[in-house]
Parts: sequence; C-alpha cells; structure tokens
Amino acid sequence: MGIMDKARIYSPWLYHLHCGGCNGCDIETLAALAPRFDVERFGIQLVPSPRHADILLTTGCVPKQFIPMVKRIYEQVPAPKVVVAVGSCACGGSLFYDDAPENYAILGHPDLLIPVDVYVPGCAPKPEAIINGVVQGILKLAEKRSKK
Amino acid sequence: MGSASKLEQEGEQMVDLIFTVISLIVIVPLALFLGVIYSYLLRKLSARFQWRVGPMLRMYGDLKPLLGTTRLLQPLYDILKLYGKETIVPDVSRRRLFVYSPYLSLFFAVAAIFFIPFPGMPLLSGVPYSLIIASYLLIASILFTILGPVASGSPWAAIGARREVELFLVSELGFVLSLFAVAIARQSLVIWEISSGGQSLYLALLTVTAGALMFVAMLGKLHIKPFDMPEAEAEIVAGPYTEYSGKLLGTYYLTKVFLLYGLVALFISLFLPPIATDVLWLPLYIVAAVALVFLLTSVQVLNPRYRIRNAINWYLKVAIPLGVLNFIIALAIWLVV
Amino acid sequence: MSTEIKILKQVLSKYSKPMTLTYPSGVAPDRRYSQIPEGLRGIPERDKDKCIGCRACYFVCSGRATSIYDKGEKRTVEIFLFRCTFCAHCQEACPEEAIKMTNKFEIAVPNREDPAARVLTELDLLKCKNCGTPYVTRKLVDRTYERLMEKIDPIVKETVSNDYKKLDGYCPDCRRAYGVDLDTHTKKYVWLEGV
Repeated sequence: MGIMDKARIYSPWLYHLHCGGCNGCDIETLAALAPRFDVERFGIQLVPSPRHADILLTTGCVPKQFIPMVKRIYEQVPAPKVVVAVGSCACGGSLFYDDAPENYAILGHPDLLIPVDVYVPGCAPKPEAIINGVVQGILKLAEKRSKK
Repeated sequence: MGSASKLEQEGEQMVDLIFTVISLIVIVPLALFLGVIYSYLLRKLSARFQWRVGPMLRMYGDLKPLLGTTRLLQPLYDILKLYGKETIVPDVSRRRLFVYSPYLSLFFAVAAIFFIPFPGMPLLSGVPYSLIIASYLLIASILFTILGPVASGSPWAAIGARREVELFLVSELGFVLSLFAVAIARQSLVIWEISSGGQSLYLALLTVTAGALMFVAMLGKLHIKPFDMPEAEAEIVAGPYTEYSGKLLGTYYLTKVFLLYGLVALFISLFLPPIATDVLWLPLYIVAAVALVFLLTSVQVLNPRYRIRNAINWYLKVAIPLGVLNFIIALAIWLVV
Repeated sequence: MSTEIKILKQVLSKYSKPMTLTYPSGVAPDRRYSQIPEGLRGIPERDKDKCIGCRACYFVCSGRATSIYDKGEKRTVEIFLFRCTFCAHCQEACPEEAIKMTNKFEIAVPNREDPAARVLTELDLLKCKNCGTPYVTRKLVDRTYERLMEKIDPIVKETVSNDYKKLDGYCPDCRRAYGVDLDTHTKKYVWLEGV
C-alpha cells in the first residue's frame, strides 16, 4: 500500500448533505461529530464545501424539488468519493415510500439518483451506528483510485 | 602573502556560499515538518480544550494495522490526500489566475521562509533589508490567497476574499508597525542583526508591547478564531477556498503550513533574540514555538468569531494605538539609550 | 477578558480526561457504548418457531417495511430494514409474541441485496388435500383452532369443532366447494328460515 492510499484512509473529509425529512438523522450525525464520539481522532473532518469532501453523507428522502441539487452536489465531489446514506429515509424511503400511486412531492431514497456505497438503516441511527457506517465507507474509499 | 590571504578569503566565501545553499535546501522539508507539527498541535490542543481526544498520538492497539500508529503528521496526510484527488476547475473561473495563484502563494511563502533564520542556519537573513523583503513576501503570499478565489467566479469565494482584504488591511498595519518598532529600536533592517542582538531592559519592554501587537496581527494572518471570518465555515461555505479542490486546495493548505511556520519563526527571531541564532538554542527555540502555538490555540478556542466590522473596529481601537505606543517606545530607545 | 479566564480555568480543570468514548465501542470493561436507554428499539428479531405467518405485522407496519409473500411451498415473512422505522408496532400486534425488538443498532450494509438488511423468516406451507396447492401454514391452522376453542360459546363448541376437523387441510377454493357438508354452513340456516 503506497503512501497515497494510506493518506486516503487517514484523512477522509465529510460533507453532510441533508436532502429532506425530519432532521432526526442530522441531529444524530452532528452528535457523532461532537466531542463524545470525536471522529477527528481518525482524521475525519466535517468540511463546508462539497469540493473538499471524500465522503458524502446523505440524510433524508429526496423531494422532487431537490433532485437537481442532489445530482449537482454529487458531481461536485472530486473523484475518489463514497456516498453513505444515513437513516431509513435515505436507505429505502421509509415512511415516504410510495410504490403504487407515485407520490406527488417526494421521489424517495437518493439511491435512485446517485450510487450509494454504504447504507446505515435506523430511525434515527445512533451515533455509533453512523460512525460504523462511515468506517465502512472509508474502507470502500481505499479501494477506489482517483480517475486521471 | 597577500594572494594567499585573498585565496583564503575566497575559500571562506565559497564555504559560506555552499553552506547557505545547503541550508536553503534543508530548510524547506524542515519548515514543512515543523509547520505540520505546529498545525497538529493547534488541532490537538484545541481538541483537548474541548474535552475531546483530537488526532490521536497513539492509535488504539487493535486499529493500528488499519489506521496507522500515530497521527502526528495528520495535516501532512490531509495535504497528501488532496494531491491524490481529482482537481475540478469551474467553467466560470478565469482559468489561468485560478490555477496559478495557489502555486504562486506557495512560492512566496517558501521564499519568505528563506529570509527568516533558524537556529544554526542564518539562511538569507543576513541580506540587506531582509526584514522588508520577508514582510513583502509574506504579504505577496496572502495576496495570492485573495486573487485566486476572486478569479473562481463563486459568490462565496468573493465574499470571503473581500473579508480577507478588509482584515488584511488592518492586521497588516499592526504587523508592519510592530516590525518597524523593533527595527527602529535595534537600528537595523536586517533580520539576522536583530535576532543576534543583545537584550536590555528597555528592549524587553518593547518585546512585550510589540510582541503583543505582532501576536494580534498573526491571529489575523492565520485566521485564528476571533478573526476567522474570511473562511467562516457554514456561514459563507468555505470562504475563499469554496471552489478549490484536489491539488490546488492541497497547495493552499501547504501554504498555510508554511505561513504558520514562517510567522512563528519570524516572531521568535525578532522578539526573542538570540534564540534563533545558534544551534545550542534549538531546545529553547522549540519550547518558545510550542508556547506560541499554545497561546494561539487558547485564543482560538476561547473566542467566538467576530463580524468583519467588529474586527476592524477592534484593530483600529486596540491594535493601532498599541502600534503607535510601540513607535514612541522605539523612538525613545533609539534617541535616549 | 475575565470571562475568558473563567472559561480557561474551567477547561483546564478537566484537562486531563477527555470525555470521548473508545472506538470500536463495546461491552468489554475498557470499551463502552454511550448510554443505551432501557427499551431502546433496535433491529427487530423474529422467533422462527413462534411465527405462524398470520400477517398481523404486515397490516400494522407503518413504513410498509413488512411484506409477506408465498413462493412455491414457502411463505416468507420479511422486514426490510431500509424502510423500517423501528416503531415496534409489529411487536405489539404479534399474537404469538414472535417479534422482539433487540437493542442491536450497529447495522451498515454495502448494498440493497445484503442479507443483513432484511429480517427473514421462511415458513413451510400446507398443501391442500384436494387440489395440492400450498395455501397456509400448519401452525396458523392449529393456533386458530386453539384460540377459537378458548373463546367460543360452549353450546356450539362441538359442532364447530367437528366442522373444523372435517375440512381441515382444504384450501379456500376447495372449502367453498365442499362447504355444503358442514353443519355450520349458512345454507342450512337459510333452509330453516324457509320452513
């Protein structure tokens, strides 16, 4: 394993994308970043711009109004990237899931728009579960190489 | 006889030149290493202030094979990772300025380091007017952290850059006032002469007042907490760096590391002579640097972010009068002592 | 400035011990989870021996996570955790108390088809004696009989019991065909009314 691959594992930066929903998962995500669970121990940092990110952490189901933004934010993350879907809404639509008559306002899980690498079900997942998911995301990140 | 001494002199000059060249080559990785350590300390200490662990010095035993034994070089890993990533250049940006300004910024930061002495290595600090050269190079480095973002075409970057300009105008004033107060008191514009000069009671007084001013100016230059509104996270996305990614962002982070090292080194060489002159002082140099980083950290964690107007007012009300006071003290030392 | 000094004092007093938990957290003495409150609803778990495949959980599921489908001779009862809200309605509704919410919560799966994302139970279906189509689980028939016998009026108990045994093992379609033989068939009452 080269030094670049190691660096990729050692410093995953996280961008938190809230698509929609009840904000429960966002609160838990912020708790996971707070001193109690301190992810900076492993070099994980919350970054404010998607262009700096390695891991895109999505929460909530996607309303139809938000579809272009999700696509655009995903495209703005530079190449070796991993998407972690946190919460049941982001994994499978949860309560907002409608199959037979299509919902007029809500598309459903972001998986329909962007490739998700790790799913963390829970409503809302505990911070430990989120960290567990992010760690799996880091392992996937190590497998990916940057496109030249 | 005469020709022999001339030869000897030339030989000595050659040895000096070779030593200088070697030390110039050595200082870059050394400055990078020290800068990384300082940034690590900044992160680790602020984490400990917040009752967290921060980047781990010793990783948990069972995670060592996967996550490495130590994270002492965490800032370096961040930079290396950014160099291994895709670089996105926005279509709306002015491509040439956008791409080249991080590299120019890095170039000027590294160039500034050449004029600041390190224990055992005078480098180019003996050059006439090196104080002015060093301060200009530091300004140039910051200028390119403003120019690149402005060329990126993002409103967030533009707001960040504007804030940076406003902050830079006032903090630079304090910076220059404190530099020249020292220069007047020591009657020299050569960093090496200032840093190898002796100490006296009056000069110690100046060290306290001008040092405080320099410290405050450093806060503005390094975006330490009360003055971090240029890159205010979550408020204006990532400020000037919003549109930067991959290699270019890595270069800016590298510049930050070099700037941190450079400003700490400049502070020590100007205000704590003769620490930055001889190799024997190296332990004391490290202690002084760590103490300075600790002070920076405690300011960072104990303060909320100022609004830009408050910051300018604060600089104008507190820092600039302090600078004028410095000038008076310096003049008094020059004229009386 | 005095406030800052106060904060600094406060910070330094607890300086030596950060409040961060170890990772990976666990139940070992040097490892611990953050507070796990009593009655935390984690992943639901289904007891395969108790489940009778009655669809009670399917009807109450708020997130439409539970689904029941017959395939061949198997009936699959499934909770898709990606849609589960961990509301424990199924636990309340289950007549056999087969579903229990555990306090396991660390689930992260790499894809949709991962077996860890589903709580599956496969039950054997009973084949119809007449036509051979699998239609219901053995346990459901037995449990329905038991519960019926518990609550039924003693006057009609024997009649119903006989009827139940007569057509036990026939699928709904066949039962409709042979229903005339039953003592409890409505046709008999219609005939009586006519008299």
